[in-house]
Amino acid sequence: MDKLIIGRYIPGESLIHRMDPRSKLLAMFAFVVIIFLANDVIGYGILAVFTFVGVALSQIKLSYFLKGLRPMLGLILFTVIFQMLFTTGGDVLFQVWILKITTYSVQNAFYIFMRFVLIIFMSTLLTLTTPPLTLADGIETGLAPLKKIKVPVHEIGLMLSISLRFIPTLMDDTTMIMNAQKARGMDFGEGNLVQKVKSVIPILIPLFVSSFRRADDLAIAMESRGYQGGEGRTKYRVLKWHLIDTVLLVSLAVLAAALIAWNTLK
Amino acid sequence: MAIHFDKVTYTYQPNTPFESRALFDIDMRISDGSFTALVGHTGSGKSTLLQHLNGLLLPTSGSVTVDDITIKPDSKAKAVKPVRQKVGVVFQFPETQLFDETVLKDVSFGPQNFGVSKSVAEETAREKLRLVGISDDLFDRSPFELSGGQMRRVAIAGILAMNPSVLVLDEPTAGLDPKARIDMMQLFESIHAAGVTTILVTHLMDDVADYADTMFVLEKGRIVKFGKPSELFQDVDFMMAHQLGVPKATQFALLLAARGMQFEKDNLPITRKALIAAITASQEATHG
Repeated sequence: MDKLIIGRYIPGESLIHRMDPRSKLLAMFAFVVIIFLANDVIGYGILAVFTFVGVALSQIKLSYFLKGLRPMLGLILFTVIFQMLFTTGGDVLFQVWILKITTYSVQNAFYIFMRFVLIIFMSTLLTLTTPPLTLADGIETGLAPLKKIKVPVHEIGLMLSISLRFIPTLMDDTTMIMNAQKARGMDFGEGNLVQKVKSVIPILIPLFVSSFRRADDLAIAMESRGYQGGEGRTKYRVLKWHLIDTVLLVSLAVLAAALIAWNTLK
Repeated sequence: MAIHFDKVTYTYQPNTPFESRALFDIDMRISDGSFTALVGHTGSGKSTLLQHLNGLLLPTSGSVTVDDITIKPDSKAKAVKPVRQKVGVVFQFPETQLFDETVLKDVSFGPQNFGVSKSVAEETAREKLRLVGISDDLFDRSPFELSGGQMRRVAIAGILAMNPSVLVLDEPTAGLDPKARIDMMQLFESIHAAGVTTILVTHLMDDVADYADTMFVLEKGRIVKFGKPSELFQDVDFMMAHQLGVPKATQFALLLAARGMQFEKDNLPITRKALIAAITASQEATHG
């Protein structure tokens, strides 16, 4: 669990760290859409350059991004290989029985690979440079327009911040309980499937019990500090929109426009 | 059952941005039948060291020897498991580890994991539950219906049921009321007297003075001092400088010394008993 990089935050002082989470979130979504605009090597080249400029600006070692890629590697390879084997059309490069590898399939496999890598790099960049609570703030303010259609935006934001806040605590609890049960002779991940499933019970039950207790305590502590819901609350962490945020969104718009222009010109 | 640490170092999450070293070249000898106290500031590496005692963590380099089993950086899980039965660890707030339907089942969980038959395990469980002061009518209750203090006793019984020859206690009295604290420490003292090597991790210097015969002072992942509590607490300045403090009896003796009372050199009392004896002796000396 400790080795997981995705979803972690690395404190820093870089340009990307100081950006507004709203612009980063928006940019992240926009980027996912833009990726599908690229349909040739040059398009993907431009996107890759864009991504690596972001990675360089974040001043975080490239190796951490590569580590973020690792848990997804199986899925990526799986998809890439299927693309390779089952895309039809184009010149046949190589054939075994009914499986053909054609120029098209190689091309498609390459595109899929690039899409995965770029999306994972970008989302890793987002989580590595944005503290989770700021991210939750960003999502809450981002969802604010939905208040008009009676979506409980404040409650969603609150639940999100509380969940994010308690992820590390629950992870610690899990490790602690696992250690305690191991000290009592429990083996994890050994034996057949039934035994493996059974060995989860001595962890899950204490974990649920402690979560209920925590929720109870937290609710009481919140009420005793005067929390009554979203109405009429002021904000302590106020998000600030900087020039760099505008620059980011504008550059994404330019990127999208350039890709569309390139596609139509071809 | 002696435990030897040989140049043990431990690093958390090596080769990641979150890498941090918790233990540096720990050499430690815990002799058979001793009552050893492990003290140190928060974050000094006590808990990390404690998890090496029963192989929950494997040293990054160096080795830990428990009796005839040596735990090395590349030890296999199977080779380490027997250590867990010999060294019983009571973690902080052990009541959080209860999970089974009844108190009795929960306590017999440990021995059953080490291959003891159900009937024998339950027999041991009953015996240990009585030892920690849980009455028979609670045996078939759910552990979650008990009070906090009772839950902790049940959890401790769960460790004792494995019949460990070394008992490791990580702040076993944290959050207990004064009476429960004294009862619990006396329970551990009686278990120790029955021949169980005891290792106590604590912030309470009074407990160290009252019960321990050896103590190790940990700071920033290193052992900075070790010896008998009666000797280490003489260096009041050192203990104060490392924010550990000295037992209340020693503090009081220092106040008396500041007002002119004579104590033998390097023989400040560390327990209440010793303090009373010292005061009585000096009274007799002055009044003849």
